[in-house]
Amino acid sequence: MAAVLQLSQVTKAYGALRALDGIDISLPDNAYISLLGPSGSGKTILLRVIAGFEAPDSGSILFKGERVEAVPPHRRNIGFVFQNFALFPHLSVARNIAFGLENRELNPITDSAVVRAKVKDIVALVGLTGLEDRGVAQISGGQRQRVALARTLITEPSLVLLDEPLGALDANLRTRMRAELRAIRERCGVTFLHVTGSETEALAMGDTVLVLDRGRIAQADDADTVYNRPRSAAVARFLNCYNLFEGQLSKDDFVSPVGKFPLQGQQADARGQPAYAIRYDRISIRPLVASVTAEEVRIEGTFIADEYSGAAINSFFSLDDGRVIEVESHLSQAAPQACVPHGRYALVWKRQNALVYA
Amino acid sequence: MAMTAATAEAASADRSAKKMPDRTFWLLAPGVIWMVLFLVVPILMMVYVSFWTQTTFAITPTLTIKSWVTFFSSDTYLSALWTTIRIWLIVLAATLIVGYPAALFVGLFVRNKTLQTVLLVLCVIPFWTSFLIRVLAWRPMLGKEGAINLILQGVGLINKPIEVLLFSELSVIIGMTQIYCVFMVGPIAFMMGRIDQSVIEAAQDLGAGFWRIFRTIILPLSMPGVVVGAIFVSVMVLGEFATSAALSGRKVNLLGNIIVTQVGSLKWAFAAVAGVILTILMGIVVAALLRVVDLRKEL
Repeated sequence: MAAVLQLSQVTKAYGALRALDGIDISLPDNAYISLLGPSGSGKTILLRVIAGFEAPDSGSILFKGERVEAVPPHRRNIGFVFQNFALFPHLSVARNIAFGLENRELNPITDSAVVRAKVKDIVALVGLTGLEDRGVAQISGGQRQRVALARTLITEPSLVLLDEPLGALDANLRTRMRAELRAIRERCGVTFLHVTGSETEALAMGDTVLVLDRGRIAQADDADTVYNRPRSAAVARFLNCYNLFEGQLSKDDFVSPVGKFPLQGQQADARGQPAYAIRYDRISIRPLVASVTAEEVRIEGTFIADEYSGAAINSFFSLDDGRVIEVESHLSQAAPQACVPHGRYALVWKRQNALVYA
Repeated sequence: MAMTAATAEAASADRSAKKMPDRTFWLLAPGVIWMVLFLVVPILMMVYVSFWTQTTFAITPTLTIKSWVTFFSSDTYLSALWTTIRIWLIVLAATLIVGYPAALFVGLFVRNKTLQTVLLVLCVIPFWTSFLIRVLAWRPMLGKEGAINLILQGVGLINKPIEVLLFSELSVIIGMTQIYCVFMVGPIAFMMGRIDQSVIEAAQDLGAGFWRIFRTIILPLSMPGVVVGAIFVSVMVLGEFATSAALSGRKVNLLGNIIVTQVGSLKWAFAAVAGVILTILMGIVVAALLRVVDLRKEL
């Protein structure tokens, strides 16, 4: 697959803060890429640099094989869908969508019949038929999202950047728009770079998931790999499904403040801070007296509270040093053990399920 | 128990509904009374007085249209009306030409909110001096031996002082534009400040260059500011008399100057006619400007 966009060693600093610290990415043609990063990781700045609203301090940006750092945004033909949609408040839905075709500097379309036909097609594609003459203040959030998308897609960009496109929608609509965004992208055959702070969204949407950590790409893999084998403790933390212990690796054990965790042939990835990670749903809760097999790790914790989320229960335990451990029990597997408040329980997991970073 | 609560609630809802018109009345009364006493009644009075009989030294409440006939058959009064309209249009255009780019800069290109406020305050600083001083300060500036002529002569651009600078229609226009420009800048800069930066970036991203964006996005979104500014400037310029008196050497007579002289010589009926005409003119101008943009929708 040809790369539509290639960034190498892109850096951008604001005073002492290195917002982008040597970004290297290569986005394939015709793919859905999601970019996961916590707030402050530089994800919006990265998008703005790609679109041309900010100039990088150093590094190169190749778009369709050509360097574009010096090209102003209106000549790049990279689509940008803003988080707040940024619709033109004084124009109707149809006028908003037609804006790019009629007003672009390169090769504007002056034949209003052609514009009307294209608007009609794209309106049908994003499912806005019948709303063309409404003002943009008279439509719902999800519809506004579609207008923003249609307005960008109609100019046929090779790359569309979406800045937290679902952030402004309510939860119900967000799930529906996820599937729809993917479907629309497939029909257009362009590359979407979807920036989000939500790990579920990033994993659900992306063919490839990029994880941004403090101005650097911490991981670029498919969703399954990112979820099951995060490449650093930082990535594991963003995924919001790992309990992390700091500590030191010593021969066959990982020494953490809450005790030694024996290892079983794990390859310790040598990136960033040493850490030991165990996924919420890999831990089982047992009575203190229950026995433990040889390949299992056991610690003790005091039950604090639990949270019911339909398919699973998330229980919280405090360890002796005050840290809180989260355990996710899927209700489809077994009836969960009812925990007594302030009761002490054994938390057990298989050695091989832990990830170790050193 | 639940029953009592429900009844109590219904009763209180009933009470508040009954109280509603009461509250509306008391909230509106001061404003309405004030406006009726000091705006509506005087305007009606003015219209009424314009039909009184005016003799050289006295005015009697005998109804006649003589003052109106005199006004519309007198070259002096009619030319004052045309001068008023002409100067108003020129000053309106001048404040717009000077004010719009300034407002565009302050409201849109200055991203720093503090700097924005500082710049807007700078626009208002001239208002810390009195109106008369601001007007009269133009004399040493524009006069035959004034700053502008001295500098131009000193640089060698001209040999003779430009006389048209002071005591002419031009000096009145220069003075008024300077004084009223800020009333144009303020509302436009306010509307510019409300334009979401990302809307402009979106237009840019869709391929539009600056002038396209200006014409299709910035100009329409700032129109309410232009209309409000134009209303401010129009109402003030149409009622002007001091600037023209101080800077034109009595050569430029506006309707305002006519009113001042007529009142000065106790010709109340003529003054009232000029006043009614001026009020109607302002009413037409404001109504026409409000036609341009639906302010209720925009603000």
